[in-house]
Parts: sequence; structure tokens; C-alpha cells
Amino acid sequence: MNDILILIGRSLRNALRQPATIIPNIAISVFFLFVYNSGLDSVQQLPGFVGTYLGFILPVSIVSAAVGGAGLAGQTLIKDIDNGYFTKLLLTPTRRLAVIWGPMVASAIILTVQVVLVMLLALAMGLKVAAGPLGFLMVVVLAFLWGMAFAGYAAFMALKTKNAAAAQAATFAFFPLIFLSYTFVPKEYVTATWLKVAATINPTTYVFESMRSLINVGWSASSLLVGLAVTFGFATVTGIMALWAARGATKLSG
Amino acid sequence: MAERDGEDRSIRAQGLRRNFGAQRAVDGVDLDIPGGRIFGFLGPNGAGKSTLVKILTTILNPTAGSATVAGFDVQRQGGRVRTAIGVALQDVGLDPLMTARELLVLQAELFGTPRDRARSTAERLLKTVGLDDVDPKKRAGSYSGGMKRRLDLALALVHNPRILFLDEPTTGLDPASRAAIWEEVRRLNAERGMTIFLTTQYLEEADRLADEIAIIDKGRIVAGGTPAELKREVGEEVVELQFGSCEETAHAYDVLAPVAPNRQAANRDLRLYFGRAAENVPELVRALDGAGLRLQGLTIEQPTLDDVFLRVTGEALEHEVAEDAEAQREEVRS
Repeated sequence: MNDILILIGRSLRNALRQPATIIPNIAISVFFLFVYNSGLDSVQQLPGFVGTYLGFILPVSIVSAAVGGAGLAGQTLIKDIDNGYFTKLLLTPTRRLAVIWGPMVASAIILTVQVVLVMLLALAMGLKVAAGPLGFLMVVVLAFLWGMAFAGYAAFMALKTKNAAAAQAATFAFFPLIFLSYTFVPKEYVTATWLKVAATINPTTYVFESMRSLINVGWSASSLLVGLAVTFGFATVTGIMALWAARGATKLSG
Repeated sequence: MAERDGEDRSIRAQGLRRNFGAQRAVDGVDLDIPGGRIFGFLGPNGAGKSTLVKILTTILNPTAGSATVAGFDVQRQGGRVRTAIGVALQDVGLDPLMTARELLVLQAELFGTPRDRARSTAERLLKTVGLDDVDPKKRAGSYSGGMKRRLDLALALVHNPRILFLDEPTTGLDPASRAAIWEEVRRLNAERGMTIFLTTQYLEEADRLADEIAIIDKGRIVAGGTPAELKREVGEEVVELQFGSCEETAHAYDVLAPVAPNRQAANRDLRLYFGRAAENVPELVRALDGAGLRLQGLTIEQPTLDDVFLRVTGEALEHEVAEDAEAQREEVRS
């Protein structure tokens, strides 16, 4: 465990030394929050809408922060591979798991801080979390798990391609997952069948719904369990993918 | 020395092979290096030196064969091998955002050293490699090539390894930095009994440092022994003849066959190996005169490792290195 903590500390320190890698991501999340909330807040006037539009759109901002922040894990690994430090770490008795998990967990911690900042901003804008402080915490937990899932995917792409541009481009594949969902209006108001089908099979939908339920409705066991199961399952799958790629990158290549 | 402090410091391999697709980078290498020696692995670029180091240091699996380092199997006991060895690869591995002290402390901690001791180890090693007077806030990314190599060497030493692998440690360094690294390698071997496995493409480096040398070419070991033994095998003395063109050298090569059966041609030079060179010079000159060949120069010298290399591989390593350097300069110019 100690080696993972050491390598998490190193990744966090390096990230703080390069604020340019963090600031744009948080700026985009805040941009989403302001623009969509001020531009579409009349949606909350629609009959049957529960809670506020700020509480509805906030999960979009949070998930966007999680996706963008998770790319940091891939970027760290790519830089380490490029400058030879990845190999230097493999030449220590450190577990291979720690070499991969260090940047992954560090990026999840950074994105969690970003998520908390976005949520504090939303509170300052008048957000009320229906599930209370514990609900607030649960939203952060969901964002952390979702971030870990993306970090696993970013690490997988970085280790498979060993190319910064390719790894960065691969993370863009997740943006359709954000927007092919009930992103801006509740599902009752979506008429396009193709979008309904896409939203149903899109795991992001269940993360949005869990967070929205906590913020706008209160504690809902079914919604929360589905959200947790989806994020945990997704994080497990991408984590396994990252480890599988790591096995190849650490042992079988030249 | 192999069992100094009761610790195994040997490197052994049987039939090591590593393929990359259809290409065999390492092709059936056997090694038996007792502890406490400086072992030089000599070969041109692409000969398989770095691949062999990667296999022995557990970061690359062999396609076939087996190896033990410090008594541990490189495939089955990778963690234990890594604890026993220090490695400075040809491409230095430094995080450019970290300072030298941070890198050394982190490296020591990854080898299980507590933080306080890791700090004192870092200070000691910075002194050892002559980086203690560098601005502590300077990040490794802004170090010069020589400073990076010295820091990389310090990183390889944080846990006081039994065996040190140095993959072309002085390639691209200026003479002063090169001399500093040679001195440190000798000191580590003499004072700590550390086994040093050194790959190089510099004959002088192998000649000056290594107790024993193996020459690798196209993935195979083609010669081995102490530098003196290897040189003795080619002859006691060398007569080097210089001609005006490669064609004349080739002609002379044929003409001198009866006088000097042991000979090698490289570009416009012809090197002839004798027990005692001076006695043969008159006959050489007569034979060349009879064939209408005009000499540009004649020198008598001791054989070098280049002669050994030329004999076992058919190519001159020094020329190849020089050509590489020239090619790199051309690349920079263009």
C-alpha cells in the first residue's frame, strides 16, 4: 500500500506544479453550469418538473469535470513512458499495480476536488441538496467512482497507444456519452426515439439520475443503487482493462 | 568476491533468446559472470546489448532460455532481482518536473527506505555524483545531458545494490563527465565489491574498465575473455599500412597473403598481425613494390580491441561509432 501512496503523492505534486493541466477542465465545468443554467432554467417551469434546473444541470457539469480530469491519468502515464520514468519505476520492487494506480487515483482525487468546487459554487448560486449533507457527499462519491472509471479508460488507452495525441483523442469518445442522454431536459420531454434508446443503454444516464435524485428529490434507494452499481461496474471493467494493458506495457514490449 | 557478505553477486544465463517479430535481437546468449567483476559488453548499435540488459533487469521477458541475477530467476523472482540490482539504462529515466532530491528520496522510499534515511541517502549520493552544489530547486528537466546521466546513476545506487547494470553510461558525454563516471564505477567495484555489468560501444571504455569482455554482434556473443587475452589472440604486434584508395587496399590485401596470413582491411587501411612486426617490414615493402602499390603510411603498434572486434565481426567498431557521430552531425546540420 505504501508504494501506491508514494506514487499518488508524486502525481498530485506534479499536477499542482502544472496548474494549466487542471484549470481549463474546471473552467469548462463552470462554463457548462452557468451557460445551461442561465439559458435553460425555464425548463423548471414545465409541468411535472421536480426541484430546480440548477440541481438538474449540475450533474452534467460534475460528470464533465470527472471526464476531463480523468484524462490526466493517461497524460501522466504517457509522459512517464516518453521520458523513461515509467521504466525507472518498473526497475524498482514497486508493484506494477502501484505504477498504474498512482496516477489513476491521483487524477480521481484531483477531479473530486474539482467536483467539490463546482458543487460549492452551485450552493453559492442557491442550490439546495434535498438529501442533505450526506447526499452532497454521496454525489461526490459517485463523481469519484465515475472519475476512476474514466481514469482506468484513459490509462488503458495511454498504455495501449503510448501516444499522447491518441490517448487524448480517445477520451473525446466519452463526450457523446454525456450528450446522448437526458442531458438538458427530463426524459418525459424527450420525443426522439433514437435518443431514448441511446439514453437507456448509456451508463451516464444512470449516474445523472442518481445525482439528480439526491439533489432534487432526496434519498431514493433504487436510483442510488442503480447509479452506484453502474459506476462501480464501469470502474471495475476499465480498471481491469488498464491492468491488462499494463501487463503488456510492462513486460512484453521492447 | 562472489559471496562477499554472503550475498550472491553473480549473473548467469543459458540460451537467452529474444525475438521481435522475425528478428532475433538476442540469439542464444550464455553468461557466467562471477560476483565482484566489471564485465564489459561490447557491440555496435543494434547488436542486442540493450535488449539483453532489459531481460537481465526483468523489464523484458526472454522468448527462450533462462537467467539468474544475484541468484534469483529473472522471470520467476523479478521482485527479488530488482531489490538486488541497480540499473541506469541508455535512455535516462527522470521525471522532468521533480528535483534531484525529490527523485532520490522517492526512489529510496520505493526500495523501502524510511523518509529520514532516504533524505540523508539523497544528500550523500548527490555528493558522490557531484551534483550537491546544484540549485536544490532546479528540476531534472532543465539539467544538462551529463548532469542527467549522473543523477540517473545516483538513482541506481539509492539502495546500495549488489549488482549494477550500466547500459552505455557515457554515450554522448563530454570527456570530463565520462572520466567522472569511469572513476565512480571503479570505486563502486573496488570499495563495495559491486558487480558491474557495463554495455558500451566505446572500445576504450571497455579496455580501461572491464576485467572481462564479451563482444556481441547480431545478438550473439562472438568473442570473450580479458582485454589482454582477446588482444593476444589477434597477434603481438600490428603493422598498419595506409593506401591512397580502397581499391589499392583491396589489391594489397591479396598481394600480401603469403607474407601476412593474419590481416584485415578497413577502408584505406590494412592491418597485418605478426609475432614481431619489424622483422617482416622489408619483405612487405618488397612485395608491395613488386605489385606497383605505393604506400601512404606505415606504423607499428600494439593490437587494440578494435582489431579484435574487426576480426570477430568483420567490421571496425570505432569507424562505425565515428560514422554514427558524423551522421548525427549531418542530421543536425541539415
